[in-house]
Amino acid sequence: MSAVNSSAGAETAVARKKLGFGFWLCIGWLAAMVFIALFTPLLPLKSPTANFLDSSQGRPPYSPSWKHWFGTDKDARDVFARTLYGARISLTVGFSAITAGFLVGGTIGVMSGYFRGWIDRVSSFVFVVLLSFPSLVLAILLTSLIERSLLTVSLVLGLLSIAPVGRLARAATLQYSEREFVLAARQIGAKDRHIIVKEILPNVAIPMSSLALLGMAVAVVAEGGLAFLGLSVEKGITWGGLIQLGSDASKTLEKAPWISFFPILMLFLTVLSLNFAGDRLRTFFDVKEMTL
Amino acid sequence: MNTTSAVASESEPFIETVGLKTHFRTPRGIARAVDGVTIQIRRGQSLGVVGESGSGKTVLSRSIMGLLPRNGVIREGSVRYRGEEIGNRTPKEMRSVWGREMAMVFQDPMTSLNPVMKVGKQVTESLRLHLGMNAAEATEVAEKIFRDVRIPEPSRRLNQYPHELSGGMRQRVMIAIAMACGPNMLFADEPTTALDVTVQAQILELLSEQIHDRNMSMLLVTHNLGVVAGYTDEIAVMYGGKVVERAPTKVLFDNVKMPYTEALLQSIPRLTQPSHSRLAMIPGRPPDLVNPPTGCRFAPRCAYARDLCRSEEPPLTTAETPDHTFACHFPVGSPEYLERKVEIERRGATTGGGN
Amino acid sequence: MRYYVQRVALAILLLLAVSMLTFGALNVLGDPLFNILGPVAGDVNNPDSIKMIELAKSEFSLDRPLPVRYAIWLSDFVRGDFGVTFSSTGQPPVSGVISERLPRTVTLVAMAQLFAILVSIPWALITASRAGKISDRISTLNAFFLVAMPNFALAVILKFFFSIKLGWMPLTFVADDPLSSRLFQMILPALTIGLPVAAVYQRLLRTDIITTLQQDFILLARTKGLSRTRILLVHALRPSLFSFITVVGLNTGALIGGSIVSETVFRIPGIGSTLVESVLRNDFPVVLAIVMIVASSFVIINLLVDFAYTLIDPRVRR
Repeated sequence: MSAVNSSAGAETAVARKKLGFGFWLCIGWLAAMVFIALFTPLLPLKSPTANFLDSSQGRPPYSPSWKHWFGTDKDARDVFARTLYGARISLTVGFSAITAGFLVGGTIGVMSGYFRGWIDRVSSFVFVVLLSFPSLVLAILLTSLIERSLLTVSLVLGLLSIAPVGRLARAATLQYSEREFVLAARQIGAKDRHIIVKEILPNVAIPMSSLALLGMAVAVVAEGGLAFLGLSVEKGITWGGLIQLGSDASKTLEKAPWISFFPILMLFLTVLSLNFAGDRLRTFFDVKEMTL
Repeated sequence: MNTTSAVASESEPFIETVGLKTHFRTPRGIARAVDGVTIQIRRGQSLGVVGESGSGKTVLSRSIMGLLPRNGVIREGSVRYRGEEIGNRTPKEMRSVWGREMAMVFQDPMTSLNPVMKVGKQVTESLRLHLGMNAAEATEVAEKIFRDVRIPEPSRRLNQYPHELSGGMRQRVMIAIAMACGPNMLFADEPTTALDVTVQAQILELLSEQIHDRNMSMLLVTHNLGVVAGYTDEIAVMYGGKVVERAPTKVLFDNVKMPYTEALLQSIPRLTQPSHSRLAMIPGRPPDLVNPPTGCRFAPRCAYARDLCRSEEPPLTTAETPDHTFACHFPVGSPEYLERKVEIERRGATTGGGN
Repeated sequence: MRYYVQRVALAILLLLAVSMLTFGALNVLGDPLFNILGPVAGDVNNPDSIKMIELAKSEFSLDRPLPVRYAIWLSDFVRGDFGVTFSSTGQPPVSGVISERLPRTVTLVAMAQLFAILVSIPWALITASRAGKISDRISTLNAFFLVAMPNFALAVILKFFFSIKLGWMPLTFVADDPLSSRLFQMILPALTIGLPVAAVYQRLLRTDIITTLQQDFILLARTKGLSRTRILLVHALRPSLFSFITVVGLNTGALIGGSIVSETVFRIPGIGSTLVESVLRNDFPVVLAIVMIVASSFVIINLLVDFAYTLIDPRVRR
C-alpha cells in the first residue's frame, strides 16, 4: 500500500538536497550585518549621537532625504547611523548569549545523556525549573537586579538558553549512546572522555548546528524585547531601544514612522535570515539522517 | 445508463478491464505497474489475483476502483463496470459508487480503522450517508451486521475503539463496514495477511459466505496461492505487471501451465511435507518495473527458460482445459519443459541436493 | 490515579523550587532594603529615614536569615497576602494591585489564544488539503514572515496602521469604559500576540494533518464514498490534534510573555505592564508576586495540558 508515494509525501521525503539560493542569500545578509557590527566606527557614517539641527528644514524629526537616508529622530540624530550602530549590541548579545548557552547547556546535556544517573536527574530538574518561567519574565527579573552591561545581559540570556539547548543535547546524546558503535567502544575499554569527544560530539554537533542559528534568532529577539522595555545594556544603542523611542509617543509614531520602521526592518530581516538559514540547515541534515 | 443495458444478464462481465495499463511517475522514471491486463469478473463471481509484491496486483485493484495515488495514472485501456466506462472518471464522480456499489477491505485492520473513532460509528457513518438512516436506525442495522460477521456481543462492541479489539475482530469490523450498504463488488486486498494463521481461515470463510449470500462479485488480491485455493471461482496469476495465467481454480491447480504458477504452487507449505523440509522458494527478485527485461518477464528467474523466452514475449494462449489462458513459450508438460526438467533432476541427483 | 498524584506532587515541588529561586534571586542579587525603600535605604544620616529603615526591617524581618525570611514570605503568600508595595504616595497592598490588574491580562491572553486557535485550525486544514500547491507555498512564506517579526515590532506596526492611519482601533485602553468597549480595545493587542502564535500552530497542525492524511484509514474512508470535506473534518482532524493541543497549552507561557510587551505598547494596565513598571522602580514585593503568579499559572497549565491529553486520546487513557 505504501509502495508508492503520494506527492504530498514526496514533497517531504525527497526534500532538496542542496541548501538553495535562499539560504545563501540569508547568509549574505548575516555576513553583512556581522561586518557592520564589527566595523561601524570605521565606516563613513555620521555620528549616531550628534544632533544635526538644520534650521532650514524646521523642527526635527526630519524625513528621509539624501542627507539622512533614514531620516532623523526628534533630536535630529541620524537614524541610519543609529540603526547601524544598533546592530553592534543586538548582534553581539545575541551571539554571546547563544555561545554561552551552547557551551554550558551543551556540556551539561551531553554529560547527562551519556552518564545518566544523578547528573541526569539533577540537571533535568534544573532544566524543568528554568523552563517553568516564561522566558521573557525570567529575563526581566534577572536583568532588573543587575548592572546591565554587555557582558551581564549576554550572560542572562545565555542562562535562559541553557535549558532548551541542554535538553536537545541530552536527547541527541541519548540517541547515540545507545548505538552499537558506542557500546562496542565501551566494551573495548575506551575512556569515557575519548568516546564522548570522538564518537558522540561529532554526531550531536549536527542537529545542534541548525539549532545555533535558530537559537541566535531567539536571542536577538529576546534582547530586542528587553531593550524595548528599557532593560538591556545601559546607555547603549540597540534596535529594540530605537524602536521604543520611535513609538513611545503616538504623535511621534504618526508623524515620523521612519524612526521605528527602519530599525524594525533591520531587525526583521536579521531574524528572518537566521530563522530561514537555520531551518534550511535543519532540513538539509534531517534528510541525510533519514536516508541513512 | 439506459434501461436495456441495465438488464445485464448474469453471464455478461460485471467488472472488466481491457488492456489496462497503469503507470507511476517515480524519481527513477515511469514504472509500468500494470502493463496490459485484461480480466473479466461476472456477477456473483470471485476472482483471486495472485502474485509477489511488485507484480501489480494491488495496483490493479486500485486502478479498477479509481483509488490511485497522485503520481499514478491509467495510461491506456479501459475499465468497465456494468458495461459503463469508469476508467476516466474523476474521484468526485466515483464517490457515488464507492461505499454503495464498490467496497474495499484492506490488509491491516489496525491501521485501516480510524483509531480515535468508535467502530460502531465507522459503520453507521456509511449507513447514514448513503442510505439516509437516522442514528437509531443506523445503530440497529450496524448491530445486525456485526452479528452477521459474527462479532460476539455486538451491541457492546459497537462502542469500542479499534485498539480494544483483537486482530480477527478488527478485520470483521472492516468487512462489516464494507458490507454495510450492500455493495455489488468487493475488493479484498490481502485481507488475511496481517492475521494469525488460525484466524485466517475463519475470515476467508466469512468473506466467502457473505459474497455468496449477497450475490456479490469479489476481487481478492493476495500473494498466497493457498488463500485463494478454496475461496475463489477463478484465479489470475500476475507477474511483472501482466497476467501470466488465468483459469478456474480447480483447473489451475490440476493443470497448471506456466512455470511461475507451478513454482508458486510448490512454495505453499503443506502439512504432508516431512517436518523441517526446506520451503521451496523462487530464487531471484521481481523485475524492475521501470526497465522491464525484454521477452518474458519471468525468464531471468525461470529454470526452464530458453533463448526464445528472453527475446520474445510469450502471447496469451488458450489451453485445452476450458476458460484457461496462459503466457508461456514452453509451458508445463511441453517437450522442451520435460527435457529441461530431466536435466535439472539429474543435476540435483549428482550434487546430492534434495532434502 | 497514581499517575495524576505523581504529576501533581511534581508540580508542587516545581512551584516551591520556582519560589525559592525567585525569592533568592531578589534577595541575594538585589539589596532587599533598597528594593523596598528605594533611595531612602542609603540615607543613613536622616533620622526619619532611619526610622523607616527600622520599620522596614522589622516589617520584612530583614535581620533574620534568608531561609527564615523565605518561610515567612511563603506562608504569607499562600494565604494571599503578598505584602505591600513600595510607593512614594502611601502603600496599597500588592494583592489589591494584582487583583485589579490580573483579570485584564487573563482576558488578553485568553483572547489571543482564542484568535490563534480559531485562525490556525481552518488555515491548517486548507493548506494541508492543498499541500504542495501555490497557495500552500505562499501561505508558508507568510507564516514564516509572521514568526520572524518580534512581537514588539509587530505591535508597533499594527498600532501604526490600524490605530493611527486607519483609525479602526482605539489608541488607548480606558479602564472605566464599559465591558464591550474594553473588549474591543483589546482586539488589536490580542491580535499582536495571537497572530505569530497562530502561524506556529498552523505550521504544526498542517504537518500533522498531512501525515494523518497518508494513513490507511483515510484511504478506507475514501472507499466509503465520503466527501473530501467530511474526511478532513471528521476523520483527519481529531487524530492530528494531539500535538496541537500540547503545543497550545505549552505556548501559554509565550503568550504571557507577549502580553508584557503588548500591554506596554497599547498601554493596558495589566500585570504584564505592571511587572515592567515595578521592575524599573525596583518595587520588590510587586515583582516577586507577579513572577510567582505567572510561574505558578504556567506550571498549573502545563499540568492541565498533561491531564487533558490523557482524556482526549482514548489510546492513552488509563
